Amino acid sequence: MRAGGTLLMRPLQPEIWRMAELLIQQMLNWITLGCIYALLAIGFSLIFGILNVIHFSHGDVAMTAPFICLALATFFGATSPYWLVLALVLAILAVGLLGVVLDRVVIRQFRDAPAMMALVATVALGIVIREAIRHLYPEGSNPHAFPRLVSGVAFEVAGVPVNWFSVLVTVLTVALIGLLFVFLRMTPLGLRIRAASEDRVVARMMGIRDGRVFRATFFIASAIGAVAGLLFASYAGVTRFDFGIMAGLLGFSAAVIGGLGSMPGAILGGLIIAGIEVLAQTFVPDGASYRLVFVFLLVIAVLIFRPAGLLGRPVMEKV
Amino acid sequence: MERPMPSGAPSVATASLFVVASQLAGAVFLYLVLKAEGGWQVIGLLALLGAGFFLLEKKPRIADLAMASMARVPLLAVAMAAVVVLAFPFAVGSNTYMLHLLIVAQLYAVLALALNFQLGSANIPNFATGASYGIGAYVSALLAINFGVSFWLTLPVAALAATLFGFLIGIPSMRTRDTYLALVTIAFGVVVQQLLNNFDFTGGPNGLVGIPAPSLFGHSFADPLVIFGHKLPSQANFYYLAAALVAVAIVTARRLHGSRIGLAWNALRADEIAARAQGINVAWYKVLAFAVDAFLAAFAGTIYAFYVSYISPDNFTFLVSVTIMTMVIVGGMDNIFGVIVGAFLLTILPEKLRAFSDYRLLFFGIVIIGFLMIRPQGLFPQRMRDYGSHS
Repeated sequence: MRAGGTLLMRPLQPEIWRMAELLIQQMLNWITLGCIYALLAIGFSLIFGILNVIHFSHGDVAMTAPFICLALATFFGATSPYWLVLALVLAILAVGLLGVVLDRVVIRQFRDAPAMMALVATVALGIVIREAIRHLYPEGSNPHAFPRLVSGVAFEVAGVPVNWFSVLVTVLTVALIGLLFVFLRMTPLGLRIRAASEDRVVARMMGIRDGRVFRATFFIASAIGAVAGLLFASYAGVTRFDFGIMAGLLGFSAAVIGGLGSMPGAILGGLIIAGIEVLAQTFVPDGASYRLVFVFLLVIAVLIFRPAGLLGRPVMEKV
Repeated sequence: MERPMPSGAPSVATASLFVVASQLAGAVFLYLVLKAEGGWQVIGLLALLGAGFFLLEKKPRIADLAMASMARVPLLAVAMAAVVVLAFPFAVGSNTYMLHLLIVAQLYAVLALALNFQLGSANIPNFATGASYGIGAYVSALLAINFGVSFWLTLPVAALAATLFGFLIGIPSMRTRDTYLALVTIAFGVVVQQLLNNFDFTGGPNGLVGIPAPSLFGHSFADPLVIFGHKLPSQANFYYLAAALVAVAIVTARRLHGSRIGLAWNALRADEIAARAQGINVAWYKVLAFAVDAFLAAFAGTIYAFYVSYISPDNFTFLVSVTIMTMVIVGGMDNIFGVIVGAFLLTILPEKLRAFSDYRLLFFGIVIIGFLMIRPQGLFPQRMRDYGSHS
């Protein structure tokens, strides 16, 4: 380590500033991406926590949102921002319903099946969703441009401009997580959901209609996923039919390394995954093309040392 | 359900007749499917197949008769199968497309058998078979291109490399299970595919081109095969090679299934903790399942690389692993015959439904979901282990 005095000498100062700017810039990047992943991971965790079923196609469900939104915007001939907002809201609701329908038609069948069955079935469901977008949406195999929801610079931190988009993502994520927390802790339906996630059979015996609980869970998880999908498409500037597989893998990884079924774990996992991605892109030469390698090596490492995830409860095994 | 009478074993004549007739019927059916053109012919053949399965389902005696006949005249059954497999290219003649489909189907059959050790026997999820397949293909191709190593030498080296990889994926399986383990294997698969896609020496996304054709006793596999003055297209070389590999895979699978290892895997599937309580070294058998899978997959990968002489990372994606998994599930977990049927069906059908070639993945997805919902045990469910109680 060099002495602090030498580093602070005048000729080096711009160098330090540039480093600091870079760091702040990347921190912002990290928070934006981390929030999006956290929103995706929450859906996985919520569904797993209640159904004990891995909904591997959750990422694909989430990434239908940008397509639905674009279709609606074209249909409205979106001229004013109000129409765009309406399209966004309708897309989120539609994806929520899609989640409920998929549960009803497919996932429900695997509720009590071995974990492998549900996993493979939902992987296949993801393929079906992706291919359906590809064939049903006009020119579905091509990337479609997706607008930045908000543009412009909100404010500056130490000379680094902070985009309104980053602010929007962060505020939206914090608000959604807060709402979800309030919903789960303080509303009757939230109480029922938590009861069902503790023990489905006992919850039923207490007069909780589990069908309703599942519908609500799938709606909420898919709608939150839709928000993440819209933000992701907006962040990337485009949307493609096969974004769902990566969104699903990254969101699932985030949920798993955080600990499936744990909400704080999902958020932590999202931030960690995004952190690795940003770190790899910033500090490793050619890191952008190797970012997935780093992410998944981390996933493997975490699962070797903490098999139930960072914040997950260790599983009691019984015969 | 009435149990079939074990004492009613078929006579040698009946058994022989049944074995020969059923194998010939199978071969003719395969030939017709390969030959079929246009949607209606394929759909008609599928309907026939469906009717066959319906019959098998309604009359379990037929399946029992089949098993009993095979057990009665095992040598004839094997010899007949060998004759059918060896003679098939002569029936196909100069139709290289049919031969190509058969080669790919056979390679997939090997991959599905490899995965069956885990998914079927031990119920361990593995989404990295595609990666082992890719490692086999790349290791052998790199050796052949850069160092001029002969195909026959690259086979064991590639298998060894992939087996090491299998052990590596197997290590996390000691601590993680089910969903978590599935994610670990997915992660390994993605890492391998991304590395192949990014390294310079693997040719990046463009892959490796110009893998030399193997040769045996001075006969290059790129040349037409001449047997008894009958000229077969060059694909026939690889057809026989792949058939030999399928035979090796079947023998391996049968021997393992019948050994204590297979029994230990089945015990793992039934209940891991109970198996551990019985003194089964759970961690070792899990890792072993991964290693065996990788070993066989690497053989398939090597043959594939030398056959098409061009490989790229796109050949070994996550979706390939999912496809292999589908074959095992559709065919029937832990049923060797079923797994092979599954591999053939799912390789040839999408090719035949040319009209829907764009919708191939959609078709795959729907088939998997449908099977898991309607018939989770697959076309040919696993048969009860036979400990020879009634012999």
